[in-house]
Amino acid sequence: MKFAPIVLKHLRKNWIRTLSTVLAMSVCIFLFCVLQTVIAAVDFGLHSGNTNRLVTRDAVSIANLLPMNYKQKVAAIPGVKDVVIVNWFGGVYREMKNFFPNLAVEPEAYLRIHPEIMLPPDQKEKWFGDVRGAIIGRKLAQRFNFKVGDIVQLESFIPYYRVGKPFEFAIDGIYDTDEARYPGTNLDSMYFHFKYVYEATGQRIGIGTLTTLIDDPGQAGAVSKRIDEYFDNSDNPTKTETEQAFRAGFVALAGNLALLLNGIGLAVAFTILLVTANTMSIAVRERRQEIAVLKTLGFSSGLVMTLIISEALLLGLMGGLIGIFLSRAVIAVLVNVPFLGDVLRQFPNLGLSPQVASFGMGIALLIGLLAGFFPALLAYRSRITEALRQV
Amino acid sequence: MSAVTNIGVAARASAVRVQNVRKVYQRDSQSLTVLDGLNLDVPTGEFVALMGPSGSGKTTLLNLIAGIDRPTSGRVVVGDTDLTPLSEGELAKWRSRNIGFIFQFYNLIPVLNAIENVELPLLLTNLSSKERRQRAMTALRIVGLEDRYKHYPRQLSGGQEQRVAIARAVVTDPSVLVADEPTGDLDARSAEEVLDLMQTFNKEFGKTILMVTHDPRAAERAHVQHHLEKGVLRD
Repeated sequence: MKFAPIVLKHLRKNWIRTLSTVLAMSVCIFLFCVLQTVIAAVDFGLHSGNTNRLVTRDAVSIANLLPMNYKQKVAAIPGVKDVVIVNWFGGVYREMKNFFPNLAVEPEAYLRIHPEIMLPPDQKEKWFGDVRGAIIGRKLAQRFNFKVGDIVQLESFIPYYRVGKPFEFAIDGIYDTDEARYPGTNLDSMYFHFKYVYEATGQRIGIGTLTTLIDDPGQAGAVSKRIDEYFDNSDNPTKTETEQAFRAGFVALAGNLALLLNGIGLAVAFTILLVTANTMSIAVRERRQEIAVLKTLGFSSGLVMTLIISEALLLGLMGGLIGIFLSRAVIAVLVNVPFLGDVLRQFPNLGLSPQVASFGMGIALLIGLLAGFFPALLAYRSRITEALRQV
Repeated sequence: MSAVTNIGVAARASAVRVQNVRKVYQRDSQSLTVLDGLNLDVPTGEFVALMGPSGSGKTTLLNLIAGIDRPTSGRVVVGDTDLTPLSEGELAKWRSRNIGFIFQFYNLIPVLNAIENVELPLLLTNLSSKERRQRAMTALRIVGLEDRYKHYPRQLSGGQEQRVAIARAVVTDPSVLVADEPTGDLDARSAEEVLDLMQTFNKEFGKTILMVTHDPRAAERAHVQHHLEKGVLRD
């Protein structure tokens, strides 16, 4: 600690250079933390799917609907315990920025297959009996201040759900979950009767996806194969996969997101490493004489090296702290961005996790260490007489 | 060729003994002999001036005595310590306790104020922060700059900077002070002040002083003057 004033005063001397380096470092850590949080959110969403649920959809495109009689046919396949229609409705509440997931389902079957959706019994009964009724997640209710009894209008952007006017839903219940047992349950969604949408569209729609509950998760592959083989020679062959794989498929549509984001993070980190290393090299070069004086006074080469590395580490620490603070603030805003916010909200205790923050700080310190190491090594090796001769 | 100092105080123990020292610098493929079999004996409490033309080896000799450079051959003994076998780390530790170095261009750390500059060598000791501050203040008082303790080098005149540098050199109470042209960058009045201080440290505090200088008036303050030419002493 007694050497701290030397380190601090050197950083303060060229405060513009110090500030610009710290800001560059903080941008790096900010990007790293935000990207890692997004990756973690997506990854968690992918791996939180139930292992004994399968999703069946049209083999060619998820935009194609399956015939209505497929539900009974799938239900009859050995290994299938229960089955429910789940259609992505794509409804928008007032304006696009308010987007949240909303799905047309068969209420009784859906709640049987999805025990993580927890509703008070009276709300459950009310919803089952109310064809215009809907249930919403606790976080969605908080987001828009929805209450039981409110009427909500949604207008879908999917052509076959467009009927010339918005659909009107009455909120019959607000569901919650046991986050310890069912982490990753989306509490930002809305569910309503498939029957209501089916009738309102003149019975012209079909099945978007079928979610199947199977007896044995170990048989997921075999049951999937059985379902797809059953429809192999039909006009609408199917593709069946586990819920996890189905979610992963969505992400795969956007390419290898994690690879892309990590690549961006790595490129930024490397650039900042060069910037910081350059700053430290200039700082050490400017102080060759000073380093020689310190050594003349009896400072060992190791101590001089430690002082320079400490200076670089301090740059890293400051950059890391600012970067983490910035990323916390921005992640809090990101959850309100359409689509991306929906993904992020699946992250339990959403926000910058201590793990990502610690990792970010570790990266900042590592950049500082690497950036300071070589200039410090030069200082370590510098000979007093040569440095003083250049005065 | 060698020159052995005899200053008429043979009874006193040697503060510095330079024995048959050669220093050869390698410049690409050429060898440059800067000191050639040099011998020097400086008794404790002596004030020695080293004079000679540029390139004669004065600063090199001073650096060897201060332990910031190593001879190619021969021995340098300061006090009871033979510097020859010491490692870099041991030499650094030894310097911090036994040598005070005064440079021509003061070499104060620009980001530190006067008292922090003086306190620098004390950071290598186990003294408490309060004790370090007290000692640094005492050193500044001795050089007459107690009231300038918060001033940064850029806020001081050349003479004042050099006095702070002298305070820094003596703050650890070393037995030997080495000064490389301490008045070379000063006006006549400041130079007198600096030389007065050095004489004070020599007479009142018993410091052994070795001073490289081109200035005959500065050299007159010393007890003994040695002249170096082409790496050998010619008294």
